[in-house]
Amino acid sequence: MKPAQTLELGAHRLVICLGPGGVGKTTLSAAIALNTAITGRAVDVMTVDPAPRLLDALGLGANEQTIQAVPLTGLSAHQGARLRALKLDPKQTFDLLIERHAPSAAARDAILANRIYRNLSTALAGVADYMAMEQLLELHADASTDLIVLDTPPAREAIDFLDAPRRMLELLGSRAITLLSAGRSAMRGGFSMIDIAARAVLSAFDRLTGLHLLYDVQTFVRSFDGMYAGFADRAAQVQALVRDRQTLIVLVTTSETERVDQACEFIDALTAMGLTIGAVAVNRMMAPLPAASDLADADLPAALKRKLKRNLDDFAALKRRETAALDRLRDRVSPGTRLIAAPDLGREPRTLADLTEIARNLVAY
Amino acid sequence: MALPRLTFVTGKGGTGKSTVAAALAMAWSRRRPTTLGDLDGRQSVARLVDMQTADAHAALDFLAITPRGELEAFIHRIVPLRAVSRRMLQSRTFGYVTAALPGLEAFVMLERMRLLAGDAALNDRFAVIDAPATGHALELLAVAGSLRKLAPTGRLNRLSSAVEEFLIDRNRFGVILTVLPEELALREAIEAAAALRNFGIECIGAILNGVAPALFTAAEIAKLSPLEAHARLAARRRELSEFADRARRELQQAGIAVTELPMIYETALDADAVGTLSRILETDFLDAQADAAE
Repeated sequence: MKPAQTLELGAHRLVICLGPGGVGKTTLSAAIALNTAITGRAVDVMTVDPAPRLLDALGLGANEQTIQAVPLTGLSAHQGARLRALKLDPKQTFDLLIERHAPSAAARDAILANRIYRNLSTALAGVADYMAMEQLLELHADASTDLIVLDTPPAREAIDFLDAPRRMLELLGSRAITLLSAGRSAMRGGFSMIDIAARAVLSAFDRLTGLHLLYDVQTFVRSFDGMYAGFADRAAQVQALVRDRQTLIVLVTTSETERVDQACEFIDALTAMGLTIGAVAVNRMMAPLPAASDLADADLPAALKRKLKRNLDDFAALKRRETAALDRLRDRVSPGTRLIAAPDLGREPRTLADLTEIARNLVAY
Repeated sequence: MALPRLTFVTGKGGTGKSTVAAALAMAWSRRRPTTLGDLDGRQSVARLVDMQTADAHAALDFLAITPRGELEAFIHRIVPLRAVSRRMLQSRTFGYVTAALPGLEAFVMLERMRLLAGDAALNDRFAVIDAPATGHALELLAVAGSLRKLAPTGRLNRLSSAVEEFLIDRNRFGVILTVLPEELALREAIEAAAALRNFGIECIGAILNGVAPALFTAAEIAKLSPLEAHARLAARRRELSEFADRARRELQQAGIAVTELPMIYETALDADAVGTLSRILETDFLDAQADAAE
């Protein structure tokens, strides 16, 4: 192992941290951002759903929705260092987007009040993903920023996140959806039997379930008239940004067997999408263990020595489990992928000092 | 109080949900035929139980519950004509609309659990569900109520009511929370228990995972200062044990029954390890609950 004082992300403008839930994506995103910022760079970190204490550490109160400067005093940061943090709010971002693209106040209000929209913007996982991308574009437009670190929503599948813009457009651009919004009078010419069948299917579903969705869907899609182009344009920009050479995709995981399994699934899914994983970051790595030989020469009661030996053996078993998991992970990534390890602090990171400790101890392994 | 037909195992990510669900299902399966259901669709839980090492008397089967599969089964159930239901499922529009509808997928998964528990009651079986992490799991459990409000009349309304009744029926449904000796996992479990109480859902108890004896007294650790690295490791061991004590106390104060499982200091967390845990759960959880019921 060699210490990586900094991760040298200078060539990158965007780092996207992806990974299964519960591995500490937010912590690592913040640590990577801090690690780069203290070298004298201007860094923004965008977090999603962080633990309350981590929010406090970053100066983001529970309801703070604007970008906040993180104080770097006392961290011996280089000249020019700047770190800002922003908490993502998918619902609010979507609302703002509607307000910006809506052709009229009436159209805007109709969308915001629509039952499908309200559900779409909170319940559909892909929407949160898409909105993260939207806020990202905003931050990315600021040329004074050297690096943006994006912490993604916990996605069960990696593609849920990166595929969100395409799925969003597909929904809004669907021919059958257009037909639904057209109403009965327009149902002639140009539409296939399948489109008409889709409408019939939905009516049947409505009747059977008692949901009365058809009307809501029609209103929803009709109110998006004229907004499609704006959305399509933004989605295309996001797609390009994800594939940009200055973008580094970092897969975050821990060394637990199940997480490594999930990480391997992420690797396959991203590769299938033609995306390259630039780095794999393993969070909460155990510290190196002391040598058993220290104990032999120590001037300690025999009973205590035996307990120390047992303790060492116990932790050594866990360390071997970790090493086996990491070997498995290393075999799965392509040779050019960087491997980064973050130390286990032995406690939940909750202060900027904790984050700094992780940031300073990020190592390549 | 008897244990419910279906036990829903949730907890913070990384607290050993799948391991506990697998071990509990193995423990049950030595007494009654048991189904181990997996809600994450990745069947990680099935990998943890190697049937060859399972007890010869065990009767355990696996069920992967996926949103897509359950939606299909549900549509086929409510639509009388097979040709119509097939057409519905093939329609992309239908796919978009059902995806946009809050919780339809979650609802059909709850409906599946209701049917599973009903079947278990009829045939004297048990079911254990490896559920998503706490946040997701609580959203899932709240879905039936919100869907019932969205569909004020009709079939879905009746089914939502049935699911709501199922979730608050202690004979059919109960939740186990997995906890590790660490701050966030403990907080999340206590909050989840309170949320469940609000829903009127039975929280059977918490499984406190990764408990190990302290080995060292504070005085002993103080003597270790020349061996700094060993002292740190000994202190870490002691901290874990002290936190486990605190977690046990706080959970009990919050009215949550605690069952402990030992830390497995083994190179592989394999079927043997799950077998060991299942035997502990059999005595410390299943028997203890049966004794309490008498």
